[in-house]
Amino acid sequence: MEKTSKSAKFYLALVFIVLYTPILYLIFYSFNSGGNMNNFESFTWEHYSAVFSDTRLIMILLNTVIVALLSALIATIVGVFGSIGIVFMRNKSLRRSILSLNNVLIVSPDVVIGASFLILFTAIGVKLGFASVLISHIAFSIPIVVLMVLPKLQDMNSTLIDAAADLGASKRDILTRVIIPFVKPGIFAGFFMALTYSLDDFAVTFFVTGNGFSTLSVEIYSMARTGITLTINALSGIIFIVTLVLVVGYYFVSQRGKNPVGMGVRK
Amino acid sequence: MSDNTIIRFENVTKSYDAETTVLKNINLELERGKFYTLLGPSGCGKTTILRLIAGFMQPTSGSIYFNGKLINNVPANERQVNTVFQDYALFPHLNVFENVAFGLRIKKLGKKVIEQKVIEALKFVNLVGYEKREIAEMSGGQRQRVAIARAIVNDPEIILLDEPLSALDLKLRSEMQYELRELQQRLGKTFIFVTHDQEEALAMSDEIFVLNEGEIEQSGTPMDIYDEPINRYVADFIGESNIVSGTMVADFRVKIGDKEFECVDQGLNPNEKVDIVIRPEDLEITAVDKGKMKVKVDTQLFRGVHYELSTYDDEGNEWLVHSTKKADVGASIGLDFDPEAIHVMRLNETEEEFDKRLESYGEDAYAN
Ligand SMILES: Nc1ncnc2c1ncn2[C@@H]1O[C@H](COP(=O)(O)OP(=O)(O)OP(=O)(O)O)[C@@H](O)[C@H]1O
Ligand SMILES: [Mg+2]
Repeated sequence: MEKTSKSAKFYLALVFIVLYTPILYLIFYSFNSGGNMNNFESFTWEHYSAVFSDTRLIMILLNTVIVALLSALIATIVGVFGSIGIVFMRNKSLRRSILSLNNVLIVSPDVVIGASFLILFTAIGVKLGFASVLISHIAFSIPIVVLMVLPKLQDMNSTLIDAAADLGASKRDILTRVIIPFVKPGIFAGFFMALTYSLDDFAVTFFVTGNGFSTLSVEIYSMARTGITLTINALSGIIFIVTLVLVVGYYFVSQRGKNPVGMGVRK
Repeated sequence: MSDNTIIRFENVTKSYDAETTVLKNINLELERGKFYTLLGPSGCGKTTILRLIAGFMQPTSGSIYFNGKLINNVPANERQVNTVFQDYALFPHLNVFENVAFGLRIKKLGKKVIEQKVIEALKFVNLVGYEKREIAEMSGGQRQRVAIARAIVNDPEIILLDEPLSALDLKLRSEMQYELRELQQRLGKTFIFVTHDQEEALAMSDEIFVLNEGEIEQSGTPMDIYDEPINRYVADFIGESNIVSGTMVADFRVKIGDKEFECVDQGLNPNEKVDIVIRPEDLEITAVDKGKMKVKVDTQLFRGVHYELSTYDDEGNEWLVHSTKKADVGASIGLDFDPEAIHVMRLNETEEEFDKRLESYGEDAYAN
C-alpha cells in the first residue's frame, strides 16, 4: 500500500470530498436551530424530533421500508428461479434473447419504465397506490437480481449437478442442497441491491403512486417544492445512516461467504 | 447372457450432434463383482460410456440393461451406481466430511451411522483428520481421494471410476491401485475403471476393453490382450512392441523381409499378408552368428530394471529390445527368440473371427 503515490492519494481524497461534502453539509445543518442553511446558530435535535413526531412522515417511512423489503424479497425469489431457468435453457438463441431483454430493462431510464407502468395500470384499471408501487418495484428489481445471480450460476460446473444426481439427489434436493447454497452470495447481493434500488427509487414511484400513498423520496421531493425546512435535512440524515448500516451489513455478509467460518460439520 | 450379468450394452450408439458419432455400435456384457477397465486414448469415448451407465444421458440408439432390466430411461438418481468423476465434481460449498456424507444425507441415515461410514471411507483413502477442511484447501490428489471416498461410502452395486488416480504421484498411485483392487475384491462390487495408462489397466483388471474412436477393438483378460493383441492398434497401445509387416508362407512359417521364421500360427491363407508383433522383452541378445536375426544397435537407454536398445535390421525395420545385458552402440548383435514370441495378426480381422481362430488352435492341439 505504501506504493500508492502521493498524487493518487490526493486524487482519491478529492473524489471522496466532492462526493460526500454535500451530504455532510446537509446533515450538519440538520442540527441547526437557526432554521435555514445559511448560518449555524446552535445545536438542536428539534428537526429530528419533528420527523419523529410527524406521524404522517413515519407512516411514509414505514411504507417505504415495507415496499422495499417486500419487493426485494419477491424479486429475489422470482429472479433466482428465472436465472436457473435461463441457465438450463436448451435453446441457445432463446436464452440469448431473454438475457438481452433483461439487460435492456436495466439500462432503460426509470422515467420510461415509470411512464409505461402508469399507462399499463390505468389501462387495466389497477388503482394507483400500494399495489401499483409494489408491482413496479418488483418489476424493476427482478433484472437486477438476475444480473447478480446469473454469473454465479454460470460459474457452477454442470458436473456438480450430475454428481448430486449420481449420489441419489432428486431435482428438489439438487436445488436446495447444491444450486441454492452455491449461488447464495449472489442471492444476498441481489437482495440487497434490490432493496437499495427500491428504497431510493424516485422516478418510477413518482409515476405510479397515488391515493395518498407515498414513499420517502417522493415525499421529500414534494416537501422540497413547498419550501425548504430542515426536517428534510434530518430525514435525509437518517436515511444516510440507515444506508450506511445496510452497506456495512452487506459487507459482512459477503465476507462470510468468501471466507467460510463456522461451515464445519453440520450438527 | 448369464444370471451374473449386471450391465449389458446392446448396439449402443451415441452422438452429441448430427455430424459425429462418438460411440459406434457398442456391445458389451459386464459380470457382477469384476474389475473392468476401459482403455483408450483421449477422446475415444470412455467417459461417454460411463455417463451412459450412470444415467447422465441416454443412448442415441440401442439398449442398456442393468440386472436384465432395460434402464435407458431410468434417471441417474434412481440407479445403483456411483461415479468418481474425472474432474472430481466435489461440492465447493461443503467441507470434506459433508462432501462424503452427501449421498448418506440424501438417504436420511442417522447421524451416528453417517459419521461412522464417512470416517471409514476417509480411512480407506488416507484422509482421516481432514474432515473439516474446505475443498479449496485440498491438493489435487487429496481431492481425487475425497471423490473416491464419496463414491464408495454409498455402497452401490457398480462404481464407475473415471481416471481416478491420474493426479497422484507414482508412489501413492501404486498404493491406491493395490487398495482399490483389494477393496473391489473385499466388497465384491463391480468396478468400471477408466484409464489411458496401459500398465495400470494390465495390473488391476479382470477384463480390459480397448477402445478406439468409439469402438471396442478388443476385450479380454490382461494376459489375452497383452499376449494376443488382435491388431496393430491394440498391440501398439497395450505396451511397447515391435510391429512389422510380413507374409504367412505356410502353416507355422512366417516371412519377415527375406527371412523365414518358425511360428505357432496356422490356418491362414498361403502367402497372406499379416502384421507381426514381437515384444521387446522376448528378444534376447546373442552373438551375431548365433541369433535368428542380425541387427545393428542404434541407441541404448538405461531404464532401471533393464536396458532398452533400439536396433535396426538390414531392411530398416526397428527392433526394440529389453535386455538386462548391455550392448555397444554401433555394434552388430544377434537376436534370438522362441517361435511362441512371434504373434501373427491378420489384417482387418474382427474380434469374433479372431476369437474363433484362436479357439481352433486349441481344438487342433487336442486333435494332435
Ligand atoms: N457434451 C459434448 N458435446 C459434444 N461432444 C462431446 C461432448 N462430450 C464429449 N464429446 C466428444 O465425444 C468424444 C468422446 O468424449 P469422451 O469424454 O467420452 O472421451 P474420453 O475417452 O473420456 O477422453 P479423455 O481420456 O480425454 O477423458 C470426444 O471427441 C469429445 O469431443
Ligand atoms: Mg474422459
